[in-house]
Amino acid sequence: MQVKILGIGCPKCKRLEELAREAARETGVEATFVKVTDVPSIMAYPILGTPALVINEQVKSAGRIPQKAEIVAWMKELEG
Amino acid sequence: MELSNLALRLFQGGLGNLAAYLAAHVLLCLVPAFFVAGGLAALVPKEAVTRFLGRNTPRYISYPAAAAAGSLLAVCSCTIVPLFAGIYKKGAGLGPAITFLFIAPAANILALAYTGVAIGGDIALARIVLSWTFGIGIGMIMALIFRRDDVTHDEDTNDVFAMQAKVPARTWVFMLALVAILVFGTLKVGLLTNTYARLTLPIAGVDRFQAALYRLLPFDASKGEEGVSAQGVVMIVLLALTGISAWLGLDKVDQGFNRWTGLSLGLVVLTLLVAAVGMVPHADGLDVFLTGKLFGVMLALGVIAYLAKRSFDPFEIQQWLWESWRFVKQIFPLLVVGVFFVGVLRQIIRPEWIESLAGHNTLLGNMAGVVFGVFMYFPTLVEVPIANMFLSLGMHRGPLLAYLMSDPELSLQSILILSTIIGRFKAWTYVGWVALFSLLSGLLYGAWVDGTSLLLIILYLVGLLGVLAFGLTWAERRSRRAIVAGQTRTS
Repeated sequence: MQVKILGIGCPKCKRLEELAREAARETGVEATFVKVTDVPSIMAYPILGTPALVINEQVKSAGRIPQKAEIVAWMKELEG
Repeated sequence: MELSNLALRLFQGGLGNLAAYLAAHVLLCLVPAFFVAGGLAALVPKEAVTRFLGRNTPRYISYPAAAAAGSLLAVCSCTIVPLFAGIYKKGAGLGPAITFLFIAPAANILALAYTGVAIGGDIALARIVLSWTFGIGIGMIMALIFRRDDVTHDEDTNDVFAMQAKVPARTWVFMLALVAILVFGTLKVGLLTNTYARLTLPIAGVDRFQAALYRLLPFDASKGEEGVSAQGVVMIVLLALTGISAWLGLDKVDQGFNRWTGLSLGLVVLTLLVAAVGMVPHADGLDVFLTGKLFGVMLALGVIAYLAKRSFDPFEIQQWLWESWRFVKQIFPLLVVGVFFVGVLRQIIRPEWIESLAGHNTLLGNMAGVVFGVFMYFPTLVEVPIANMFLSLGMHRGPLLAYLMSDPELSLQSILILSTIIGRFKAWTYVGWVALFSLLSGLLYGAWVDGTSLLLIILYLVGLLGVLAFGLTWAERRSRRAIVAGQTRTS
Protein backbone atom coordinates (compact mmCIF):
# COMPACT_ATOMS: atom_id res chain seq x y z
CA MET A 1 0.00 0.00 0.00
CA GLN A 2 1.31 3.41 -0.91
CA VAL A 3 0.38 6.34 1.28
CA LYS A 4 1.08 9.85 0.01
CA ILE A 5 0.94 12.93 2.17
CA LEU A 6 0.49 16.07 0.10
CA GLY A 7 1.50 19.32 1.74
CA ILE A 8 4.08 22.05 1.59
CA GLY A 9 5.43 21.30 5.05
CA CYS A 10 3.08 23.04 7.42
CA PRO A 11 2.38 21.73 10.94
CA LYS A 12 -0.88 20.19 9.76
CA CYS A 13 0.95 18.03 7.24
CA LYS A 14 3.27 16.68 9.91
CA ARG A 15 0.30 15.88 12.11
CA LEU A 16 -1.40 14.04 9.26
CA GLU A 17 1.70 11.98 8.59
CA GLU A 18 1.94 11.05 12.27
CA LEU A 19 -1.68 9.92 12.29
CA ALA A 20 -1.33 7.98 9.04
CA ARG A 21 1.72 6.15 10.38
CA GLU A 22 -0.11 5.29 13.60
CA ALA A 23 -3.09 4.10 11.59
CA ALA A 24 -0.88 1.89 9.45
CA ARG A 25 0.67 0.39 12.56
CA GLU A 26 -2.76 -0.31 14.05
CA THR A 27 -4.07 -1.91 10.89
CA GLY A 28 -0.89 -3.84 10.40
CA VAL A 29 -0.65 -3.10 6.69
CA GLU A 30 2.59 -2.87 4.79
CA ALA A 31 2.71 0.77 3.81
CA THR A 32 5.29 2.95 2.16
CA PHE A 33 5.04 6.65 2.91
CA VAL A 34 5.75 9.33 0.36
CA LYS A 35 5.75 13.03 1.16
CA VAL A 36 4.84 15.23 -1.78
CA THR A 37 5.95 18.78 -1.11
CA ASP A 38 6.30 20.60 -4.42
CA VAL A 39 3.34 22.61 -5.58
CA PRO A 40 3.05 21.34 -9.20
CA SER A 41 2.95 17.69 -8.11
CA ILE A 42 0.41 18.51 -5.41
CA MET A 43 -1.78 20.33 -7.89
CA ALA A 44 -1.77 17.29 -10.17
CA TYR A 45 -4.36 15.91 -7.76
CA PRO A 46 -7.89 17.34 -7.77
CA ILE A 47 -7.62 19.10 -4.41
CA LEU A 48 -7.85 22.67 -3.17
CA GLY A 49 -6.40 22.40 0.28
CA THR A 50 -3.56 20.67 1.99
CA PRO A 51 -2.80 18.50 3.83
CA ALA A 52 -4.24 15.79 1.66
CA LEU A 53 -4.06 12.06 2.09
CA VAL A 54 -3.73 9.86 -0.97
CA ILE A 55 -3.84 6.09 -0.56
CA ASN A 56 -3.03 3.95 -3.61
CA GLU A 57 -3.53 7.05 -5.77
CA GLN A 58 -7.04 7.69 -4.42
CA VAL A 59 -7.57 11.06 -2.74
CA LYS A 60 -9.06 10.22 0.63
CA SER A 61 -9.09 13.60 2.33
CA ALA A 62 -8.03 17.14 1.51
CA GLY A 63 -7.83 20.38 3.42
CA ARG A 64 -8.44 18.78 6.78
CA ILE A 65 -7.00 16.28 9.18
CA PRO A 66 -9.16 13.17 9.37
CA GLN A 67 -9.69 11.16 12.52
CA LYS A 68 -7.36 8.24 13.00
CA ALA A 69 -10.36 5.87 12.88
CA GLU A 70 -11.25 7.17 9.43
CA ILE A 71 -7.75 6.52 8.13
CA VAL A 72 -7.82 3.02 9.62
CA ALA A 73 -11.12 2.35 7.85
CA TRP A 74 -9.74 3.55 4.49
CA MET A 75 -6.66 1.39 4.87
CA LYS A 76 -8.72 -1.68 5.73
CA GLU A 77 -11.04 -1.08 2.80
CA LEU A 78 -8.21 -0.78 0.29
CA GLU A 79 -6.34 -3.69 1.82
CA GLY A 80 -9.22 -6.18 1.48
CA MET B 1 29.37 52.42 32.72
CA GLU B 2 27.87 54.35 29.80
CA LEU B 3 27.50 51.18 27.80
CA SER B 4 25.94 49.08 30.55
CA ASN B 5 23.52 51.90 31.24
CA LEU B 6 22.49 51.95 27.62
CA ALA B 7 22.08 48.17 27.54
CA LEU B 8 19.90 48.34 30.64
CA ARG B 9 17.77 51.07 29.11
CA LEU B 10 17.31 49.07 25.91
CA PHE B 11 16.44 45.94 27.85
CA GLN B 12 13.95 47.85 29.98
CA GLY B 13 12.44 49.34 26.84
CA GLY B 14 11.97 45.91 25.26
CA LEU B 15 10.56 44.36 28.40
CA GLY B 16 8.26 47.28 29.05
CA ASN B 17 6.89 47.16 25.53
CA LEU B 18 6.34 43.44 25.79
CA ALA B 19 4.58 43.67 29.14
CA ALA B 20 2.41 46.54 27.95
CA TYR B 21 1.44 44.66 24.82
CA LEU B 22 0.62 41.46 26.62
CA ALA B 23 -1.37 43.24 29.26
CA ALA B 24 -3.15 45.87 27.22
CA HIS B 25 -3.64 44.68 23.69
CA VAL B 26 -3.41 41.00 23.40
CA LEU B 27 -6.02 39.57 25.65
CA LEU B 28 -9.38 40.78 24.56
CA CYS B 29 -8.30 40.90 20.96
CA LEU B 30 -5.77 38.25 20.07
CA VAL B 31 -7.09 35.46 22.27
CA PRO B 32 -10.57 35.50 20.73
CA ALA B 33 -9.08 36.23 17.30
CA PHE B 34 -7.05 33.02 17.47
CA PHE B 35 -10.22 31.10 18.30
CA VAL B 36 -12.07 32.76 15.43
CA ALA B 37 -9.24 31.85 13.06
CA GLY B 38 -9.32 28.28 14.36
CA GLY B 39 -13.07 28.14 13.87
CA LEU B 40 -12.83 29.40 10.31
CA ALA B 41 -10.19 26.78 9.54
CA ALA B 42 -11.92 23.86 11.25
CA LEU B 43 -15.66 24.43 11.03
CA VAL B 44 -16.33 26.40 7.86
CA PRO B 45 -16.16 24.10 4.81
CA LYS B 46 -13.94 25.61 2.11
CA GLU B 47 -16.33 24.45 -0.60
CA ALA B 48 -18.88 27.02 0.58
CA VAL B 49 -16.68 29.71 -0.94
CA THR B 50 -14.62 27.85 -3.53
CA ARG B 51 -17.70 26.89 -5.53
CA PHE B 52 -17.80 30.51 -6.66
CA LEU B 53 -14.26 30.33 -7.98
CA GLY B 54 -14.73 27.99 -10.91
CA ARG B 55 -13.81 28.76 -14.48
CA ASN B 56 -17.37 29.44 -15.56
CA THR B 57 -18.32 31.84 -12.81
CA PRO B 58 -19.02 35.37 -14.05
CA ARG B 59 -16.39 37.92 -13.14
CA TYR B 60 -18.59 40.00 -10.85
CA ILE B 61 -19.02 36.95 -8.65
CA SER B 62 -15.59 35.37 -8.87
CA TYR B 63 -13.60 38.47 -7.84
CA PRO B 64 -15.59 39.23 -4.67
CA ALA B 65 -15.62 35.51 -3.88
CA ALA B 66 -11.84 35.44 -4.20
CA ALA B 67 -11.65 38.42 -1.86
CA ALA B 68 -13.93 36.67 0.63
CA ALA B 69 -11.83 33.54 0.42
CA GLY B 70 -8.76 35.64 1.19
CA SER B 71 -10.36 37.19 4.25
CA LEU B 72 -12.03 34.09 5.60
CA LEU B 73 -10.29 30.91 4.54
CA ALA B 74 -6.68 31.79 4.37
CA VAL B 75 -5.01 32.17 7.66
CA CYS B 76 -2.08 29.91 6.92
CA SER B 77 0.09 28.93 3.99
CA CYS B 78 -1.41 25.41 3.97
CA THR B 79 -4.53 26.98 2.56
CA ILE B 80 -3.09 29.92 0.67
CA VAL B 81 -0.65 28.17 -1.65
CA PRO B 82 -2.79 25.23 -2.88
CA LEU B 83 -5.88 27.36 -3.19
CA PHE B 84 -3.97 30.02 -5.09
CA ALA B 85 -2.49 27.48 -7.47
CA GLY B 86 -5.90 25.83 -7.85
CA ILE B 87 -7.75 29.02 -8.69
CA TYR B 88 -5.01 30.01 -11.10
CA LYS B 89 -4.64 26.73 -12.95
CA LYS B 90 -8.04 25.12 -12.71
CA GLY B 91 -10.48 27.75 -11.62
CA ALA B 92 -11.37 31.33 -12.30
CA GLY B 93 -7.91 32.19 -13.59
CA LEU B 94 -5.04 34.52 -12.82
CA GLY B 95 -7.11 37.58 -11.83
CA PRO B 96 -9.16 36.12 -9.00
CA ALA B 97 -6.14 34.07 -7.88
CA ILE B 98 -4.14 37.28 -7.49
CA THR B 99 -7.02 38.96 -5.67
CA PHE B 100 -7.10 36.06 -3.26
CA LEU B 101 -3.34 36.16 -2.75
CA PHE B 102 -3.31 39.90 -2.18
CA ILE B 103 -6.05 39.92 0.40
CA ALA B 104 -5.07 36.87 2.39
CA PRO B 105 -2.19 38.31 4.45
CA ALA B 106 -3.55 41.83 4.93
CA ALA B 107 -7.23 41.43 5.60
CA ASN B 108 -7.58 38.20 7.54
CA ILE B 109 -9.28 38.24 10.90
CA LEU B 110 -6.08 38.03 12.97
CA ALA B 111 -4.39 40.93 11.22
CA LEU B 112 -7.50 43.11 11.32
CA ALA B 113 -8.37 42.49 14.95
CA TYR B 114 -4.82 43.15 16.03
CA THR B 115 -4.47 46.30 13.93
CA GLY B 116 -7.76 47.63 15.24
CA VAL B 117 -6.86 47.21 18.87
CA ALA B 118 -3.19 48.11 18.80
CA ILE B 119 -3.28 51.03 16.37
CA GLY B 120 -6.87 52.07 15.88
CA GLY B 121 -10.14 51.10 14.28
CA ASP B 122 -9.67 53.64 11.49
CA ILE B 123 -6.48 52.01 10.22
CA ALA B 124 -8.05 48.55 10.46
CA LEU B 125 -11.04 49.73 8.46
CA ALA B 126 -8.81 51.42 5.88
CA ARG B 127 -6.77 48.23 5.69
CA ILE B 128 -9.82 46.10 4.89
CA VAL B 129 -11.55 48.52 2.50
CA LEU B 130 -8.39 49.36 0.57
CA SER B 131 -7.08 45.81 0.40
CA TRP B 132 -10.44 44.63 -0.95
CA THR B 133 -10.62 47.34 -3.61
CA PHE B 134 -6.97 47.13 -4.57
CA GLY B 135 -6.89 43.35 -4.35
CA ILE B 136 -9.67 43.21 -6.89
CA GLY B 137 -7.99 45.99 -8.89
CA ILE B 138 -4.61 44.27 -9.08
CA GLY B 139 -6.30 40.98 -9.94
CA MET B 140 -8.06 42.64 -12.86
CA ILE B 141 -4.89 44.35 -14.06
CA MET B 142 -2.95 41.11 -13.99
CA ALA B 143 -5.74 39.35 -15.86
CA LEU B 144 -5.67 42.16 -18.38
CA ILE B 145 -1.91 42.12 -18.92
CA PHE B 146 -1.65 38.36 -19.17
CA ARG B 147 -5.00 37.67 -20.80
CA ARG B 148 -3.49 35.52 -23.53
CA ASP B 149 -2.05 33.02 -21.03
CA ASP B 150 -5.39 32.64 -19.37
CA VAL B 151 -7.03 31.39 -22.52
CA THR B 152 -4.77 28.34 -22.63
CA HIS B 153 -5.88 27.27 -19.16
CA ASP B 154 -9.42 26.69 -20.27
CA GLU B 155 -8.85 23.04 -21.07
CA ASP B 156 -7.41 22.39 -17.63
CA THR B 157 -10.66 23.12 -15.83
CA ASN B 158 -11.91 20.30 -13.69
CA ASP B 159 -14.63 19.74 -11.19
CA VAL B 160 -12.92 20.52 -7.87
CA PHE B 161 -14.65 23.86 -7.89
CA ALA B 162 -18.07 22.29 -8.45
CA MET B 163 -18.13 20.73 -4.98
CA GLN B 164 -20.84 22.30 -2.91
CA ALA B 165 -21.15 22.79 0.80
CA LYS B 166 -23.41 24.79 3.03
CA VAL B 167 -22.39 26.44 6.25
CA PRO B 168 -24.84 25.09 8.84
CA ALA B 169 -26.79 27.53 11.01
CA ARG B 170 -25.07 26.38 14.20
CA THR B 171 -21.70 27.28 12.69
CA TRP B 172 -22.97 30.76 11.84
CA VAL B 173 -24.17 31.37 15.39
CA PHE B 174 -21.01 29.90 16.85
CA MET B 175 -18.72 32.06 14.71
CA LEU B 176 -20.81 35.14 15.40
CA ALA B 177 -20.55 34.54 19.14
CA LEU B 178 -16.77 34.24 18.82
CA VAL B 179 -16.59 37.47 16.86
CA ALA B 180 -18.89 39.04 19.46
CA ILE B 181 -16.28 38.41 22.18
CA LEU B 182 -13.80 40.26 20.05
CA VAL B 183 -16.19 43.14 19.46
CA PHE B 184 -17.47 43.40 23.03
CA GLY B 185 -13.95 43.29 24.37
CA THR B 186 -12.54 45.96 22.13
CA LEU B 187 -15.29 48.29 20.97
CA LYS B 188 -15.28 51.59 22.82
CA VAL B 189 -18.93 52.57 23.13
CA GLY B 190 -20.67 53.75 26.27
CA LEU B 191 -22.92 50.75 26.59
CA LEU B 192 -19.90 48.49 26.87
CA THR B 193 -17.48 50.68 28.77
CA ASN B 194 -19.93 51.99 31.37
CA THR B 195 -19.72 50.53 34.83
CA TYR B 196 -22.90 48.94 36.12
CA ALA B 197 -21.70 47.70 39.50
CA ARG B 198 -18.68 48.02 41.72
CA LEU B 199 -17.10 45.52 44.05
CA THR B 200 -14.42 46.37 46.56
CA LEU B 201 -12.13 43.48 47.30
CA PRO B 202 -10.30 43.80 50.62
CA ILE B 203 -6.86 43.15 49.19
CA ALA B 204 -4.37 45.63 50.58
CA GLY B 205 -1.10 46.56 48.98
CA VAL B 206 -2.16 46.37 45.35
CA ASP B 207 -1.63 50.12 45.03
CA ARG B 208 1.92 49.84 46.34
CA PHE B 209 2.52 46.94 43.96
CA GLN B 210 1.34 49.06 41.05
CA ALA B 211 3.55 51.98 42.08
CA ALA B 212 6.49 49.58 42.25
CA LEU B 213 5.65 48.36 38.75
CA TYR B 214 5.68 51.86 37.37
CA ARG B 215 9.13 52.41 38.90
CA LEU B 216 10.43 49.10 37.56
CA LEU B 217 9.22 49.66 34.01
CA PRO B 218 9.23 53.41 33.60
CA PHE B 219 7.20 54.77 30.73
CA ASP B 220 6.66 58.07 29.04
CA ALA B 221 3.05 58.56 28.03
CA SER B 222 3.97 61.48 25.78
CA LYS B 223 6.13 59.15 23.68
CA GLY B 224 3.27 56.71 23.29
CA GLU B 225 4.69 54.21 25.77
CA GLU B 226 2.37 52.39 28.08
CA GLY B 227 2.86 51.34 31.65
CA VAL B 228 1.97 48.01 33.20
CA SER B 229 -0.80 48.01 35.77
CA ALA B 230 -1.45 45.50 38.54
CA GLN B 231 -4.33 44.16 36.45
CA GLY B 232 -1.88 43.75 33.60
CA VAL B 233 0.35 41.60 35.77
CA VAL B 234 -2.59 39.39 36.77
CA MET B 235 -3.38 38.95 33.09
CA ILE B 236 0.21 38.17 32.14
CA VAL B 237 0.33 35.50 34.85
CA LEU B 238 -2.97 34.04 33.67
CA LEU B 239 -1.71 34.07 30.11
CA ALA B 240 1.43 32.20 31.08
CA LEU B 241 -0.59 29.59 32.99
CA THR B 242 -2.94 29.23 30.02
CA GLY B 243 0.05 28.70 27.77
CA ILE B 244 1.45 25.91 29.93
CA SER B 245 -1.86 24.12 30.38
CA ALA B 246 -2.70 24.51 26.69
CA TRP B 247 0.59 22.86 25.79
CA LEU B 248 -0.50 19.81 27.74
CA GLY B 249 -4.20 20.01 26.99
CA LEU B 250 -4.55 21.21 23.43
CA ASP B 251 -1.49 19.97 21.60
CA LYS B 252 -3.03 16.56 20.84
CA VAL B 253 -6.64 17.54 21.43
CA ASP B 254 -7.59 16.32 17.95
CA GLN B 255 -7.34 12.78 19.32
CA GLY B 256 -9.36 13.38 22.46
CA PHE B 257 -9.87 15.68 25.43
CA ASN B 258 -7.82 15.26 28.56
CA ARG B 259 -7.76 16.80 32.03
CA TRP B 260 -5.57 19.68 30.94
CA THR B 261 -7.96 20.64 28.15
CA GLY B 262 -10.62 21.62 30.68
CA LEU B 263 -8.12 23.51 32.79
CA SER B 264 -6.71 25.49 29.90
CA LEU B 265 -10.16 26.40 28.61
CA GLY B 266 -11.16 27.47 32.11
CA LEU B 267 -8.08 29.68 32.26
CA VAL B 268 -8.87 31.23 28.90
CA VAL B 269 -12.37 32.10 30.11
CA LEU B 270 -10.99 33.50 33.36
CA THR B 271 -8.45 35.63 31.47
CA LEU B 272 -11.12 37.03 29.20
CA LEU B 273 -13.30 37.90 32.18
CA VAL B 274 -10.47 39.52 34.15
CA ALA B 275 -9.52 41.54 31.08
CA ALA B 276 -13.11 42.74 30.72
CA VAL B 277 -13.42 44.29 34.17
CA GLY B 278 -11.87 47.55 35.30
CA MET B 279 -9.59 47.51 38.32
CA VAL B 280 -8.43 50.44 40.38
CA PRO B 281 -6.27 49.79 43.43
CA HIS B 282 -6.31 52.20 46.37
CA ALA B 283 -5.08 52.29 49.92
CA ASP B 284 -7.71 50.03 51.50
CA GLY B 285 -8.39 47.58 48.75
CA LEU B 286 -9.08 46.91 45.15
CA ASP B 287 -12.08 48.33 43.33
CA VAL B 288 -13.44 46.05 40.62
CA PHE B 289 -15.76 47.69 38.11
CA LEU B 290 -18.25 45.41 36.41
CA THR B 291 -18.54 46.93 32.96
CA GLY B 292 -20.95 46.33 30.11
CA LYS B 293 -18.01 44.61 28.42
CA LEU B 294 -17.99 41.94 31.10
CA PHE B 295 -21.67 41.12 30.62
CA GLY B 296 -21.29 41.07 26.85
CA VAL B 297 -18.32 38.72 27.02
CA MET B 298 -20.15 36.49 29.52
CA LEU B 299 -23.18 36.27 27.25
CA ALA B 300 -21.09 35.36 24.21
CA LEU B 301 -19.12 32.77 26.20
CA GLY B 302 -22.40 31.26 27.37
CA VAL B 303 -23.65 30.89 23.81
CA ILE B 304 -20.37 29.33 22.73
CA ALA B 305 -20.31 26.85 25.61
CA TYR B 306 -23.93 25.86 25.03
CA LEU B 307 -23.47 25.31 21.31
CA ALA B 308 -20.18 23.47 21.74
CA LYS B 309 -21.84 21.03 24.11
CA ARG B 310 -25.22 20.62 22.42
CA SER B 311 -24.99 21.18 18.70
CA PHE B 312 -21.49 20.15 17.67
CA ASP B 313 -19.86 16.81 17.35
CA PRO B 314 -17.03 16.46 19.92
CA PHE B 315 -14.66 15.82 17.04
CA GLU B 316 -15.53 19.18 15.47
CA ILE B 317 -14.83 20.93 18.75
CA GLN B 318 -11.54 19.09 19.07
CA GLN B 319 -10.58 20.18 15.57
CA TRP B 320 -11.51 23.76 16.39
CA LEU B 321 -9.40 23.80 19.54
CA TRP B 322 -6.52 22.13 17.81
CA GLU B 323 -6.51 24.62 14.93
CA SER B 324 -6.74 27.57 17.32
CA TRP B 325 -3.85 26.27 19.38
CA ARG B 326 -1.82 25.63 16.25
CA PHE B 327 -2.19 29.29 15.27
CA VAL B 328 -1.10 30.37 18.72
CA LYS B 329 1.92 28.07 18.60
CA GLN B 330 2.89 29.24 15.15
CA ILE B 331 2.43 32.98 15.57
CA PHE B 332 2.66 33.91 19.22
CA PRO B 333 6.34 33.13 19.97
CA LEU B 334 7.52 35.18 16.99
CA LEU B 335 5.18 37.97 17.97
CA VAL B 336 6.58 38.06 21.49
CA VAL B 337 10.16 38.27 20.20
CA GLY B 338 9.11 40.89 17.66
CA VAL B 339 7.38 43.08 20.24
CA PHE B 340 10.43 42.91 22.49
CA PHE B 341 12.74 44.10 19.73
CA VAL B 342 10.35 46.84 18.74
CA GLY B 343 10.61 48.09 22.33
CA VAL B 344 14.40 48.06 22.06
CA LEU B 345 14.37 49.87 18.71
CA ARG B 346 11.99 52.41 20.17
CA GLN B 347 14.79 53.59 22.43
CA ILE B 348 17.23 54.03 19.56
CA ILE B 349 15.25 55.64 16.73
CA ARG B 350 15.00 59.40 17.03
CA PRO B 351 11.54 60.88 16.41
CA GLU B 352 13.14 63.61 14.25
CA TRP B 353 14.20 61.04 11.66
CA ILE B 354 10.72 59.67 11.22
CA GLU B 355 9.19 63.12 11.48
CA SER B 356 11.30 64.55 8.68
CA LEU B 357 10.93 61.52 6.40
CA ALA B 358 7.30 60.55 6.82
CA GLY B 359 5.76 63.05 9.17
CA HIS B 360 3.46 64.37 6.47
CA ASN B 361 1.36 62.78 3.77
CA THR B 362 3.84 63.39 0.96
CA LEU B 363 4.76 61.25 -2.01
CA LEU B 364 8.24 60.78 -0.57
CA GLY B 365 6.87 59.81 2.83
CA ASN B 366 4.54 57.23 1.32
CA MET B 367 7.35 55.90 -0.83
CA ALA B 368 9.51 55.50 2.24
CA GLY B 369 6.69 53.50 3.84
CA VAL B 370 6.38 51.21 0.84
CA VAL B 371 10.10 50.67 0.39
CA PHE B 372 10.50 49.80 4.04
CA GLY B 373 7.60 47.39 3.71
CA VAL B 374 9.01 45.69 0.62
CA PHE B 375 12.55 45.25 1.86
CA MET B 376 11.85 44.34 5.46
CA TYR B 377 10.42 41.01 6.30
CA PHE B 378 8.69 40.49 9.61
CA PRO B 379 6.84 37.42 10.82
CA THR B 380 3.03 37.46 10.65
CA LEU B 381 1.47 40.21 12.77
CA VAL B 382 4.79 41.73 13.87
CA GLU B 383 4.14 44.48 11.32
CA VAL B 384 1.49 45.79 13.70
CA PRO B 385 3.68 46.68 16.71
CA ILE B 386 6.26 48.06 14.27
CA ALA B 387 3.66 50.29 12.69
CA ASN B 388 2.51 51.35 16.14
CA MET B 389 6.06 52.33 17.01
CA PHE B 390 6.34 54.45 13.86
CA LEU B 391 3.04 56.10 14.71
CA SER B 392 4.20 57.05 18.19
CA LEU B 393 7.43 58.38 16.69
CA GLY B 394 5.45 60.81 14.58
CA MET B 395 4.74 59.05 11.30
CA HIS B 396 1.70 60.32 9.45
CA ARG B 397 -1.15 57.82 9.16
CA GLY B 398 -0.96 57.87 5.35
CA PRO B 399 2.61 56.57 5.01
CA LEU B 400 1.83 54.27 7.92
CA LEU B 401 -0.94 52.62 5.92
CA ALA B 402 1.31 52.45 2.86
CA TYR B 403 3.75 50.49 4.98
CA LEU B 404 1.02 48.27 6.45
CA MET B 405 -0.29 47.45 2.98
CA SER B 406 3.05 46.55 1.45
CA ASP B 407 4.79 44.74 4.30
CA PRO B 408 2.61 41.64 4.66
CA GLU B 409 1.97 41.40 0.92
CA LEU B 410 5.52 41.29 -0.18
CA SER B 411 8.12 39.16 1.41
CA LEU B 412 10.87 37.25 -0.29
CA GLN B 413 9.22 34.00 0.68
CA SER B 414 5.89 34.86 -0.89
CA ILE B 415 7.53 36.17 -4.07
CA LEU B 416 9.45 32.89 -4.42
CA ILE B 417 6.34 30.75 -4.02
CA LEU B 418 4.55 33.00 -6.44
CA SER B 419 7.27 32.63 -9.10
CA THR B 420 7.20 28.84 -8.94
CA ILE B 421 3.48 28.87 -9.68
CA ILE B 422 2.97 31.68 -12.16
CA GLY B 423 6.50 32.31 -13.42
CA ARG B 424 9.06 34.94 -12.56
CA PHE B 425 7.92 37.65 -14.96
CA LYS B 426 4.33 37.60 -13.76
CA ALA B 427 5.46 37.50 -10.14
CA TRP B 428 7.57 40.64 -10.48
CA THR B 429 4.83 42.40 -12.39
CA TYR B 430 2.61 41.65 -9.43
CA VAL B 431 5.20 43.01 -7.02
CA GLY B 432 5.36 46.24 -9.00
CA TRP B 433 1.61 46.69 -8.90
CA VAL B 434 1.43 45.97 -5.21
CA ALA B 435 4.08 48.59 -4.51
CA LEU B 436 2.23 51.13 -6.64
CA PHE B 437 -1.13 50.41 -5.07
CA SER B 438 0.27 50.49 -1.54
CA LEU B 439 1.62 53.92 -2.35
CA LEU B 440 -1.80 54.96 -3.64
CA SER B 441 -3.59 53.64 -0.58
CA GLY B 442 -1.25 55.55 1.67
CA LEU B 443 -1.78 58.78 -0.28
CA LEU B 444 -5.56 58.38 -0.41
CA TYR B 445 -5.91 57.47 3.23
CA GLY B 446 -3.50 60.21 4.24
CA ALA B 447 -5.56 62.70 2.25
CA TRP B 448 -8.65 61.55 4.09
CA VAL B 449 -6.93 61.95 7.47
CA ASP B 450 -5.90 65.45 6.39
CA GLY B 451 -9.50 66.35 5.65
CA THR B 452 -10.30 65.54 2.03
CA SER B 453 -13.95 64.54 1.83
CA LEU B 454 -14.75 60.85 1.87
CA LEU B 455 -17.05 61.22 -1.10
CA LEU B 456 -14.22 62.48 -3.28
CA ILE B 457 -11.98 59.59 -2.25
CA ILE B 458 -14.69 57.02 -2.90
CA LEU B 459 -15.22 58.67 -6.26
CA TYR B 460 -11.51 58.25 -7.06
CA LEU B 461 -11.65 54.61 -6.07
CA VAL B 462 -14.81 53.81 -8.00
CA GLY B 463 -13.49 55.65 -11.03
CA LEU B 464 -10.24 53.71 -10.92
CA LEU B 465 -12.00 50.37 -10.67
CA GLY B 466 -14.49 51.34 -13.35
CA VAL B 467 -11.72 52.14 -15.82
CA LEU B 468 -10.08 48.81 -15.02
CA ALA B 469 -13.27 46.79 -15.42
CA PHE B 470 -14.03 48.54 -18.69
CA GLY B 471 -10.51 47.96 -20.02
CA LEU B 472 -10.66 44.31 -19.12
CA THR B 473 -14.01 43.70 -20.80
CA TRP B 474 -12.91 45.58 -23.88
CA ALA B 475 -9.64 43.69 -24.18
CA GLU B 476 -11.41 40.39 -23.72
CA ARG B 477 -13.95 41.15 -26.44
CA ARG B 478 -11.13 42.13 -28.75
CA SER B 479 -9.08 39.02 -28.11
CA ARG B 480 -12.15 36.81 -28.46
CA ARG B 481 -12.91 38.45 -31.77
CA ALA B 482 -9.30 37.91 -32.81
CA ILE B 483 -9.56 34.23 -31.91
CA VAL B 484 -12.81 33.84 -33.79
CA ALA B 485 -11.30 35.66 -36.76
CA GLY B 486 -8.26 33.38 -36.62
CA GLN B 487 -10.47 30.31 -36.57
CA THR B 488 -12.52 31.38 -39.56
CA ARG B 489 -9.37 32.18 -41.47
CA THR B 490 -7.86 28.74 -40.85
CA SER B 491 -11.04 26.82 -41.65
